Amino acid sequence: MESNTVDKDIARYIAEAVESYLAPDGKRLSVVSLKTVASISRSKRIPAKEVEITALKQGIIPRRYLRNMGTIGLDGQIKLLQSTVAVVGAGGLGGTIIELLARQGVGHLIIIDNDRFTEQNLNRQIMSTEENLGEYKVTVAAKRAGEINSAITVTTFRERLTRENTQKLLGGAQVVADGLDNLPSRLVVEQACRQLAIPYVYGTIAGFCGQLMTIFPEDAGLPSIYGSSNAIPEQGIETKIGNPPATPAIIAALQVQEVVKIITGVGKPVRNQILLVDSRECAIDRIELRR
Amino acid sequence: MALITVRFYSLWRSYLGTDSTTLQADHIDDALTQLEEKFGYQLRKKLETAGIHLDGKIQDYSLILLNGIALRNLRSTALKEGDVLHIFPPAIGG
Repeated sequence: MESNTVDKDIARYIAEAVESYLAPDGKRLSVVSLKTVASISRSKRIPAKEVEITALKQGIIPRRYLRNMGTIGLDGQIKLLQSTVAVVGAGGLGGTIIELLARQGVGHLIIIDNDRFTEQNLNRQIMSTEENLGEYKVTVAAKRAGEINSAITVTTFRERLTRENTQKLLGGAQVVADGLDNLPSRLVVEQACRQLAIPYVYGTIAGFCGQLMTIFPEDAGLPSIYGSSNAIPEQGIETKIGNPPATPAIIAALQVQEVVKIITGVGKPVRNQILLVDSRECAIDRIELRR
Repeated sequence: MALITVRFYSLWRSYLGTDSTTLQADHIDDALTQLEEKFGYQLRKKLETAGIHLDGKIQDYSLILLNGIALRNLRSTALKEGDVLHIFPPAIGG
């Protein structure tokens, strides 16, 4: 009852500040500005995210999400704002995943990484700058996410994900996105996601190439490509051919698209298939995986 | 003898200059031996040119699936007409 009153109250404030926006297709839309959202959030002492959700529920679009509407709609944006996504690793893949999820408007990000930025990260890790070398990746990533989207909340864990702490680190997440750089950790995350009954968006890179797969708890997952034995490689050819700047951006962008599809229900995630991206030849292949 | 198709992906396709080949073989081991004879030297030479030295046979540094099943998970190593081997390098970075 009380929350309904608060909702109505906020709805009234939003309605008073609503603006009309002429979309490129000639359609008139009701929108609300960043400034209005922030001011209602401050005066009513409620999270900006809640103000945005209340607006969207009335068909009023926060201006910042206008260009998201055509793909995921009002309902999709509400689902994203209400969701929690964990990003394990805030380096090459993870940095770009965090950047894009914040822009997309995922309401709560959990960022896990125990590393600091070093000079060799500068070529590809989008969060790293000459200025922030030596700083913890999670600290930089949380700051950046907040600068991009002040309505979202960010939880950081400056530790390495292990079998022992997965529940604490990943609990509450609806999807986990992979920003790791070795296979043993990925197997730990996959196992944890199965236990938590949540999907895991696997992504890897090496040179001009990358791989992607969305693994739901009931899917065959990583054993279907690496085999079930313990004789798995820790690292791949990236140790020899390196990771140029564009490759993590390509794979991370596809991973973010998977997260968006999973949460909004729009489109079809890449399940029980491995997507192989070769940007040198501009080729994308899918292999159907079987048990 | 079964006629099988071998498909190369990502870097292997670039380095071998082809996306597939066919082989006549009855068992997976036989197919891998032929693959090594046909492409092993060429692949390692291309990798060497790019400054990458890899020891062993193609199968030692590749991920290989037979009809979408990892070789380590195969219940039978016998091949049948129309089988497809998928081969690509492990990419594990992030």
